[in-house]
Amino acid sequence: MDSLVGFVGKNYVIMAGDTNAGRSIMRLKDDFDKLVPIDSHKILAKSGEIGDGNQFCNLIIRNVSLYRIRNETELTTKSVAHYTRRQLATAIRKNPYSVNLLLGGYDKKDQKGSLYYLDYLGSSKKINYGAQGYAALFVGSILDRFWKEDLDFEDGLELMKKCLREVEKRLIIGTRCFLIKMINSDGISVVEKVMINSEKKNEIEEEN
Amino acid sequence: MFTLGSVLDNDFKSTIEDFSFETEFSTNQLMLPNIEKPFEFAQSIIGLEKDLQENENQLMFHQQKKEERKERALIKGYKGTTTLAFIYEKGTVVAVDSRATSGQYIASQSVQKVVPVNEYMLGTLAGGAADCQFFLAHLGRICNLYELRNNEKISVAAASKLLNNILYSYRNYGLSVGSMICGYDTRGPQLYYIDSDGSRLKNSLFSVGSGSPFAYGVLDAGYRWDLSKEEALDLGRRAICAATFKDSYSGGTVKVYHIDENGWVKISDDDASELWYRYEEKEKKKK
Repeated sequence: MDSLVGFVGKNYVIMAGDTNAGRSIMRLKDDFDKLVPIDSHKILAKSGEIGDGNQFCNLIIRNVSLYRIRNETELTTKSVAHYTRRQLATAIRKNPYSVNLLLGGYDKKDQKGSLYYLDYLGSSKKINYGAQGYAALFVGSILDRFWKEDLDFEDGLELMKKCLREVEKRLIIGTRCFLIKMINSDGISVVEKVMINSEKKNEIEEEN
Repeated sequence: MFTLGSVLDNDFKSTIEDFSFETEFSTNQLMLPNIEKPFEFAQSIIGLEKDLQENENQLMFHQQKKEERKERALIKGYKGTTTLAFIYEKGTVVAVDSRATSGQYIASQSVQKVVPVNEYMLGTLAGGAADCQFFLAHLGRICNLYELRNNEKISVAAASKLLNNILYSYRNYGLSVGSMICGYDTRGPQLYYIDSDGSRLKNSLFSVGSGSPFAYGVLDAGYRWDLSKEEALDLGRRAICAATFKDSYSGGTVKVYHIDENGWVKISDDDASELWYRYEEKEKKKK
């Protein structure tokens, strides 16, 4: 039921997640932030069970902080992805965490953004664009068609909104409200909290 | 070669244990197999052995029993209750019904579904009564210990997180807890929803139970941050009343509590059916 979308652009990574948190048919919270910052330049977007997501993301965040405190150095996105995957993989045959993740980060050393797709089974892949949840069905083809290397930020934001518009239009579960975040050399910034209403002839209301 | 370690690493364990008095309760000691949903598996195994011992002609009866057992084991969804809570400018309002059902039978009309955690925090009960009562009373003990050890009142966020961590460690063990931790601390009125699945959500209003959709209807329609105290209490009372009217598993009496900086106070305790007709008369008089 969660929708997460992300892709890499020119020196940035842009990610979006819906803001619903619910239980069976009921929406309990409509301003739930699923894009959790690991440190100043990495976001872990979680989807799946709320409890597992919270606990697992806390585990990763605290351990990355611990590493930084012990070694006075930040981890790269690749290292965090590998560590996260290992935690998921060792847990799968004992006490599985049912969370699917998108890890996006910007590395100052390479001056490049990177995006990783992580699964509850312990699979991990570096991707240029991808999505989790039901959104993946609709958004995959749009990104295949329109994503290019080194998209500018404005083009990237437009592409992201195109994806979210499609999710709102086709997914029968009402997810109108999305939170878009961007990571670049300056760190994580909330781009906007978007409320999409496709009935209004593809107009998008923006609320900050 | 240095590797990332978990927070409860060996070098830290001794210091952590001094302060984490709750770990002795949170790491569960039950010997169940390392699979997904061990509790369900254990229940099914016990059932099977019993069936093999009994007469094979009674296969239908066994299957029925197994289904009943299965239904009892998989009691999810917070049947038989409506609880709600919301925060507003002047504090927190908590309103609950008081009916307990056992299948089609009304077991009790006077259940206490609000458990005081301490003087300024209340926990609500939904789901399995035993589970909720135990864990909320236990939370009360932990909060008391925290106050004694740290000489300061525990925040609602911390208390809810403690409960969340304990319940998360019992994630697949068949517990059924849908509780709200409501209180007033230095950050103002606070409300957290805690689940036996391990979820913990913070919001300004929640309703839990079989009657929650009905309560949400009235609550969402009348809720504002800047309600007056009277309006807020009335809103809570009306929402539970509406839920008891529509939901057969909710009823009994409607209890309303209010929490502000001075602590929690029980405001009223009205019979649900009488309340409904009282409201109806009020509306008639208005016209």
